[in-house]
Amino acid sequence: MPPFVGSTDSQPRPDSNIVTIDVGGQMFQTTKQTLTSSGPKTFFSRIAQAASPYTPFVDRDPELFSLLLSLLRTGNLPSKAKSFDLQDLIIESKFYGIENLLINSFSQLEPFNLQKSLQLPLNGRDSPSAVATTPYGSVHVAHGSKITTFDWSLRRKSTILTHFTAVDSLLALSPELAAAGANDFSGLQILDLEKGHVKETLNWENVTKSGSTVQAIGSSPEQMFVSFESSRRNSNSIIVYDLHSFRPITEIGHNEIYGADIDSAIPATKLQWIEGYNLLMASGSHSGPSGVSGNVRLWDVRSGDIVWEISEKVDCFADVAVSDALSSMFKIGVNSGEAFYVDLRNLSYEKSSWVCLGDKRKLLNAKKEGFGCKIETQGNQVFCTKGGDVELWSEIIMDSSSNNSNNRIFKKNLMGRVQDMGGARITNLAFGGSRMFLTRKDMQCVEVWQSSSREL
Amino acid sequence: MCYILKKINRQDNTSKKIIVVAKMEEESTSHANDRIKLNVGGKLFETTLSTIRSGGPDSLLFALSNRFSNDPNPVFIDRDPEIFSVLLSLLRTNHIPSTARRFSKQELTDEALFYGIDSYLRAATSPPPFSGIDASIVDSVRPASEGLPSTFSAAENGSVWIAHGGQLSSYDWNLIHAATLRTHLDEINSICRVWPEIVAVGSESDAGLHFYNFSGSRHVGSLHWSDPSDPRIFKARVNSITASENSVFASFDCPHRENCILEVDKAKIQIVSQLGRQSGNQAKHMVPGKLTWIPATGVLVGSAVTGGAFGYSGYIRLWDPRSGEVVWETNEPGAGRSSRFGDSFSAIDVDVEKLLLFKLCSKSGDLAMADIRRLGDDPWVYLKEKNPSLVTNGGDGSINSLVHCYKGQVFVGRGGGLEVWSRVQDMAECESDGDGEGLYRRNFVDKREDSEKGVIKKIEGGGDRLFISREDVEGIEVWESSHSAGAISVL
Repeated sequence: MPPFVGSTDSQPRPDSNIVTIDVGGQMFQTTKQTLTSSGPKTFFSRIAQAASPYTPFVDRDPELFSLLLSLLRTGNLPSKAKSFDLQDLIIESKFYGIENLLINSFSQLEPFNLQKSLQLPLNGRDSPSAVATTPYGSVHVAHGSKITTFDWSLRRKSTILTHFTAVDSLLALSPELAAAGANDFSGLQILDLEKGHVKETLNWENVTKSGSTVQAIGSSPEQMFVSFESSRRNSNSIIVYDLHSFRPITEIGHNEIYGADIDSAIPATKLQWIEGYNLLMASGSHSGPSGVSGNVRLWDVRSGDIVWEISEKVDCFADVAVSDALSSMFKIGVNSGEAFYVDLRNLSYEKSSWVCLGDKRKLLNAKKEGFGCKIETQGNQVFCTKGGDVELWSEIIMDSSSNNSNNRIFKKNLMGRVQDMGGARITNLAFGGSRMFLTRKDMQCVEVWQSSSREL
Repeated sequence: MCYILKKINRQDNTSKKIIVVAKMEEESTSHANDRIKLNVGGKLFETTLSTIRSGGPDSLLFALSNRFSNDPNPVFIDRDPEIFSVLLSLLRTNHIPSTARRFSKQELTDEALFYGIDSYLRAATSPPPFSGIDASIVDSVRPASEGLPSTFSAAENGSVWIAHGGQLSSYDWNLIHAATLRTHLDEINSICRVWPEIVAVGSESDAGLHFYNFSGSRHVGSLHWSDPSDPRIFKARVNSITASENSVFASFDCPHRENCILEVDKAKIQIVSQLGRQSGNQAKHMVPGKLTWIPATGVLVGSAVTGGAFGYSGYIRLWDPRSGEVVWETNEPGAGRSSRFGDSFSAIDVDVEKLLLFKLCSKSGDLAMADIRRLGDDPWVYLKEKNPSLVTNGGDGSINSLVHCYKGQVFVGRGGGLEVWSRVQDMAECESDGDGEGLYRRNFVDKREDSEKGVIKKIEGGGDRLFISREDVEGIEVWESSHSAGAISVL
């Protein structure tokens, strides 16, 4: 977008690059390049193509147009836009077909600059059970039998009623489409969140011919992974679906329980695609008389083989997450409440492969400090919740000479201002666009953390 | 060449507009005809004729656009330019811009009325379809004096008439106070809209059915139940009123409990006929405390409930007013499934659109549904509670509960709590039990703190709003669904 093209002639020649537009009675001049930068099929590029001695007239508000023209020129909204309502700008940008430019100007996550800034209230008395985000920053919240969607600007919402009594797993497929499943309801439903109807119901035909409940949903750019368990809880499987047609592609990790060895078939309760390694991380745990035990598996989806597997008996994970950028897998120990990592580049089958991020001395504390803690990665940051607080772990890359080869250094910070600390236990943690979303126990709202400079 | 934006589906309130960019291969002088310059209070505006005419042919703006089409000078309008810019944005985009917040609803309405685009403004400001699963209190309408509402009536356009003390207050679709009239009654206990300006009222403390006109706030007429052959029919009070297209039905009750329903000609305010006269000496001969007219089938539904030391008893009866015959009736206790013995209803309502009867069981607190087209000995389908966390809440269907059907949803007030039973889309296909038990889903509309404000006395929906009055609370609550996220800043 060259800011100066040609002369600033008030009488542009027909072949000039300068385009004059009359918007609601006010004249604007800009260049063809600026107009076409919005994309080939947009309103502006059509105006630019048809540049003529006659001034095109657009019957819209001139003030809003001037803001959007600045957005076209610089990629950012001018500061005077703050005195306008974002909703007006969104409607206007939709009219001109440049809403994506507006979204992009708001979509950079700044992990160290996140502050608790908004609460999105939910109607009714149900607390949120699951949260799903889209990369644009819109968020779907399941509370009770309802799913409420907030658009990327967090200005508009819509609520639909589902068949579930409570949604336990939710995955956003697009701003309008979500996959939802529950631990007590058979089948995965693909829901149209705009119209509120079930687009498709996916079921797993298990051996016992009982219903199939959904334990976890995950997705890669092309595929959707669903962890099913039979209603009788004696078999489970991960089914791979095509993300666009919702046709089943393959089945991996089919388990049947024979006899009393229930540890042999713990269903996966978290599925995460590791793009850089083309692997699917599946983790599941359950509590038994001897404490919590579980396993983490890395699947090669194409071949259906387990690439790596770890069984957890002592200080099993409360939650697991993989960071592609850090090439590491992270867990929170359910007993210790400590965060651990394992480097994906040198996986071993030893139990001690987990390296504690923090203080190792508290490792065998018997209290269930980590129970209910969540861990999520975003870029090369690791966020984990402890009670009502969020910790941010980041790796410090030291100069190689001063560092002994293997140990990586992670340091943590408690997020937020003093007034944001504490509060009810965090039940969900999700990231979308430039924001962090979290829900708390018995709170009928979604908390939004965003950086103050990107405040909407 | 020029680009003209043509707006199609102007009246379509959805934001999806089809925008056609039409190429006009015309001279620059001719396309000026499609544009219009306006000078409003000294500020210049330019827009297209199609925009300015979208308010409809009766509007002032339409008239102005015709008169000056050949005049090169801008049309001068001596009004405030800032409000005009809001209304122009409304005509252009179908949305109220945020700058409208600087003006009160009243100002905007007055100005829209001046330009003749008030219906346009109303379409843009009216709330989205009311959905009980996503509703919140947006407003409270409180009459200035004697603020405890005894009853109220909501209309299709979202306006509401409130009876408080012996006064009647009318609030328009914007919920702005329009008029108050003082009636001769000390308290109004039943109210019904007869015509857009005429209200029928009845009182528990005074005899007769009375008609008042809001324009001019005057008494239009009164009717009393009398029987020349029976001198005991005297000082009968009105218990409930409903209106059909041509008639008003009111249930009258004498001091010695004899009762009947009188059909009144709406236009002449004259008694046409009498139906369902009964002695009132038993629970199943009580005066109907609730009357509902079902336009689709031409049937009048009346019901009565009494609660005593031995539980609840009552009846639901359907009359055909043309013949005066009872079409169907049920008495409780005494009818229904044996397993439901002792669980008679404490409240009923009729979904007149979907032709369903709903009753709330007094003991179990369950909601039951019956199809009016297929009534029989035991037509009730008891709706299943599927949410385990809500089941414990059952067992409270006592006198403080009431049922109201609105927009295909069933609202149940239990004490101070408000819940909604809403139909799940295409649930029927997925459910294997075919009798519709799982068709409806129960959810709370309110928050716990809302339910502590007081016992709900009346629920009524109108114009995508739900109005609620509570015991010993002044004014009525207005609930609306909203697409606005309502984010609260906590910085």
